[in-house]
Amino acid sequence: MNFKSFLSLLYRIFGLKRNLKIGLYGETGVGKTTLANRISLDWTGEEIGKVTGIPHETRKVQKKEKIEIKVGKKKLILTILDMPGLSTKVDYRSFLKYGLSKKEARKRAREATDGVIEAIKWLSNVDAVLAVMDATRDPLTQVNITLLGNLEARKIPVIIVANKIDKKGAKPELIREAFPTYPVVEISALKGKNMDSLYEAIAKYVRGG
Amino acid sequence: MKLKFDFVSSAVLEEKPREKRINFILNKVKDGTILVTDGVMSPEEEMELIKETMRRVDDGFPGIEVASLKKPAKGLTKLAEKISESKDKIATFFASISGKKDVQTSLKTGLTLIGPAKYIKEIKKNPNSFSVLAEIKKKV
Repeated sequence: MNFKSFLSLLYRIFGLKRNLKIGLYGETGVGKTTLANRISLDWTGEEIGKVTGIPHETRKVQKKEKIEIKVGKKKLILTILDMPGLSTKVDYRSFLKYGLSKKEARKRAREATDGVIEAIKWLSNVDAVLAVMDATRDPLTQVNITLLGNLEARKIPVIIVANKIDKKGAKPELIREAFPTYPVVEISALKGKNMDSLYEAIAKYVRGG
Repeated sequence: MKLKFDFVSSAVLEEKPREKRINFILNKVKDGTILVTDGVMSPEEEMELIKETMRRVDDGFPGIEVASLKKPAKGLTKLAEKISESKDKIATFFASISGKKDVQTSLKTGLTLIGPAKYIKEIKKNPNSFSVLAEIKKKV
């Protein structure tokens, strides 16, 4: 923990912060940008980023500031930070099947590795995290475990978002079983399903406002 | 083609400061070795490992696969772990404000496997075990 994150921790403990930076973290392709777009669309009418289905589409942190959300009597002003997907590997060859040339794929891989580094660096600057997981995948991955361990060590509030519950084969209960000590909200960012529960959870678990 | 496993005692890793430890691990893994140790890194150190891995990714080294199992600590062991965790946090905090780059931190009891992603195709993790599927393609 550096001095900046120590200060941020003090702000959080005493609820002094009015504008909260919420980072959307998770593996690649779990729907972070779709969720960022959904939150932004719901409260500002504007999208944040592009969704293409090619892994590592978000390679730089995308930001939307001053999103005012109201839940009951509580009002929160949020900055939503859509982070590049976390990964322990980036192989340029994996992009070739999406029709990218070798040159484009190599460039994308370079940018993706920089994106992972940037996302990790941002961990010292967020006030709360939405840990996004794909409910159709096995949640017990080292990336998810490492992410949650880091947030716990830094005392950053976290809500697990079990996304893609509209998809066939979605098993959000596996996420609850894998991480029983965390609040889990089941949503479909794509369809806008259960978003109210997510906003309620943000108001409940994120200090400030 | 052959696959090399190095079983390294956590004592060897613990005597190295964090930056040197990560270098030691990644140098081995980048050479194609699968490293197994009887220690578990802290989540912060594991994030540092991922960050450093990303800096080293190139055409021949797409990254790493990691799996670890932490032994649940009880009683005095738990207390000892808490003390050592606090000691590491204090050391890291003072190192960060004094501008010191590398700090010596301890490992927790458990098991960690780190290997090159080009060989390890899948790690299936359960709360108390993991299985690793590795594949080496013959050069044609």
